[in-house]
Amino acid sequence: MAPDCADRFAGCDGPELSRRRFIELIGHGSGALLLSASWPAWAAVVDGSGAARSGEAGLNAWVRVAPDETVTIVVSQAEIGQGISTTLPSLLADELGASWSSVRLVTAPYDPAYRNPRLNWMFTGNSESVQSFYDLMRAMGAAARDMLVRAAASHWRIDPQMCATSEGFVVERGSQRRISFGRIASAAAQLDPPRNPTLRADAELRWLGRAMPRVDVPAKVDGSAVFGIDYAVPGMLIAAVRTSPTVGGSLRSYDEAAARRSPGVKAVVAVPGGVAVVADTFWRARRALAVMKCEFEGGPNAALDSPALMAQFRARLEQGPFATPVQQGDALRKLAQGARTLTADYENPFLAHATMEPMNCTAHVTALRCEVWAPTQGQELAFFALKSALGLEDKQIAVNRTPYIGGGFGRRLIPDFIVQAALISRAVGAPVKTIWDREEDLRRDQFRPATLVRLRAALDGAGLLQALHARVVSPTILLPVFPGIAPVLRDQKIDPSALEGMTEWPYEVEHRRVDFHLMDVPIPTSVLRATGYGPNIFALESFIDEIAAAAGVDPLAYRQRLLAANPRALRVLERAAALAEWQKPRASGAGKGVAFAAAFGSLIAQVTDVAVSDGQVHVKRVVSVVDCGRVLDPLIAAAGIEGGVVFGLAGCKSEITFEQGRVVQDNLNRYVMPYLAESPELITEFVEGGGKLGGVGEVSPVTVAASLANAIYAASGERLRSMPLSRHGLTLGAWR
Amino acid sequence: MMTAGHRDEELLVPTYRLTVNGRARVVQVEAATPLLWVIREQLGLTGTKFGCGVAACGACTVHVDGGAVRSCSFPIEAASGKSIMTIEGIAPTRWRALQAAWIAEQVPQCGYCQSGMIMSAAALLSEIPRPTRADIAAAITNVCRCGTYQRVEKAIMRAAAALDATTSAPGGAAP
Repeated sequence: MAPDCADRFAGCDGPELSRRRFIELIGHGSGALLLSASWPAWAAVVDGSGAARSGEAGLNAWVRVAPDETVTIVVSQAEIGQGISTTLPSLLADELGASWSSVRLVTAPYDPAYRNPRLNWMFTGNSESVQSFYDLMRAMGAAARDMLVRAAASHWRIDPQMCATSEGFVVERGSQRRISFGRIASAAAQLDPPRNPTLRADAELRWLGRAMPRVDVPAKVDGSAVFGIDYAVPGMLIAAVRTSPTVGGSLRSYDEAAARRSPGVKAVVAVPGGVAVVADTFWRARRALAVMKCEFEGGPNAALDSPALMAQFRARLEQGPFATPVQQGDALRKLAQGARTLTADYENPFLAHATMEPMNCTAHVTALRCEVWAPTQGQELAFFALKSALGLEDKQIAVNRTPYIGGGFGRRLIPDFIVQAALISRAVGAPVKTIWDREEDLRRDQFRPATLVRLRAALDGAGLLQALHARVVSPTILLPVFPGIAPVLRDQKIDPSALEGMTEWPYEVEHRRVDFHLMDVPIPTSVLRATGYGPNIFALESFIDEIAAAAGVDPLAYRQRLLAANPRALRVLERAAALAEWQKPRASGAGKGVAFAAAFGSLIAQVTDVAVSDGQVHVKRVVSVVDCGRVLDPLIAAAGIEGGVVFGLAGCKSEITFEQGRVVQDNLNRYVMPYLAESPELITEFVEGGGKLGGVGEVSPVTVAASLANAIYAASGERLRSMPLSRHGLTLGAWR
Repeated sequence: MMTAGHRDEELLVPTYRLTVNGRARVVQVEAATPLLWVIREQLGLTGTKFGCGVAACGACTVHVDGGAVRSCSFPIEAASGKSIMTIEGIAPTRWRALQAAWIAEQVPQCGYCQSGMIMSAAALLSEIPRPTRADIAAAITNVCRCGTYQRVEKAIMRAAAALDATTSAPGGAAP
């Protein structure tokens, strides 16, 4: 998960650029037109049961074909709303030559076959899915096609070169002869898979670069989608959990008689830090928790308060010690000599994931077997965590992922809730679905940590950036989701994810230094959509604006200068400026802010339009222009960018704070997300710059806080160096 | 671990009658049980979602006698004798237009909030058949963490137009 920036940027502006086609920019309006005009009636089917079809022939780990012509494709990546269960299988089916209406999608169990091929680990996150699986999906589709073709050619006693596939048939070129996949599949399955299957020419693919109907949408509009919380197995009981409201606290006592009297209660089970009530329904289990008067010990963090904690961050910002992961030229000397220097400190808050579907997991654990059905992004980590917690052998553990998952944002990479559910099931000797209520979900989150960033710049006589020195103070974000990083944290005192955006630097500057202090906090911290890029880009892109202002240069023009040698980046920035009518005169109290980033292998420029009045910030419009190399599905990609902007705004509206060891914002009436009335008009376009495939899912939140802060500065002259808005007496206002 | 024995309270659990998606139903639950959990756990209709339990997010929105209600904070006692409609019940009604619009605009991402969104939208359209953007902004206070709001707004506009065309066309279907 470490940034792979040099590699990503190396291919940006190669000779391939001119050979690549540029698709028409897909705006929100044209996308809708496209959709209504040509909405296909066909679609693949999501089969939550995943059961094998009779007579199914497996062509490889990803593709099976049944005599009834059903082509089963395995969905390795968790569908957490990003549309991946449409994008990757349709790519495979396209390469195969299948008919989309014959495709049945099943969810992958944990199996090494479904690991991310670049990172050799089964997970969904870090905007990796398309980047990592694109080649594999095409190769798997091509390999299965090759086997079907060879089987058909052998049946017809002709040269396989004479055969092709189309809409579920192998066809003989130049003749009417054809045979269906279903009829030839069992013969094909007997053949050796090809070593280097030949891919189709891109122009031959029917769906690549086009808007596909999402396979998960129909079940999400009629209530039939089975999320983790809806999952049921025979004989299942339901558990509700209450752990200490303080971080690291423990259960002191509860009224056992009251629990016993409470209707529907089957058992009370101790869990680390608290207690679970197992009952016939969730409501009865939760009701019992309320009447049994749990009391908790505050534990070692009972005095933890946000102001004191942030004072510790500030002490480390001043004193270090620091590791120095980036050192290019001699930034410190330039700063000491610089004609003109600028310094600013930026602060990012703790944030919670707050997936709409609270954490839950169904588990059935016996002495000899553990099977779980979890809304998870991290099946492999769950597998190893279960193995360690239960002391079972590999083959005794099955980690199933539910086909529908109510949001992820990184939270569901962590297996804590899965292990807890397994332990509860083992304790009662029955299948149990454990559901966290929202309070539990927010208190037991593993938060996007607060960070402090100090930036210092030396400018030359023309106001251009000569040297940049960054100090970053951040707790780890990578460790809980990637335990293999522990030695790097321990020995180098560096968290590569917390440095994202600091190491992957798009602007020209001769002297650059980044110091990093790995902050030790008692609060569990982990990745959240936008990972290290979010907090670092807030600081960097706010600072670039401050430098531009100090230099007396328009913030867009200043960035154009810094990106002068990077045509791909300039194109993204300038397209965003044009769409946002950057040059148009602005009304009093209104302002536009721009931010640019290279993140997750993609480039993004964003322009945010605000009006500020009476302490209300009305975010009217956000233009996002993204170059992710190539767009596999323009509407699904646009949805990810649109949603990401609102997700970024959430981090500007609310924060998580701690008081006497407790999370203050422990439900959605205190951790308040943006509403429809406050959400901006979203204009999204893609530029196909011809570089490697980049990520989409986490790109747009990265620039939101900076483009918003820069817009507020333009509108009001007030410079926000921390978020959320409430710290400055501002609120997100309704504007429609 | 403690295992509970038999309890007398179970014998005293009250009975409620209500109509859910046009069908008469009888449930036996404690009086304080929220309608949400009756719908999900007694009736097995899991399209209605639990999000916060404090009526803050709207994922649990259903109709009670035609009006939108956040069922996580609506006790079964208050629903007794009333007509309830959930996401599973709207396909045979005029609100199917909302489902079609939701598909046309490809609104859902994770989808967890969308049942509640659609039920809130249906309640809005029954009050204001051709809402303005301001009407939608005022009425739709459901939380979508994936940020699908722009598409929600478009889908409501689309469904409103479709319903308007149907009802105003000569011989058009009555609501």
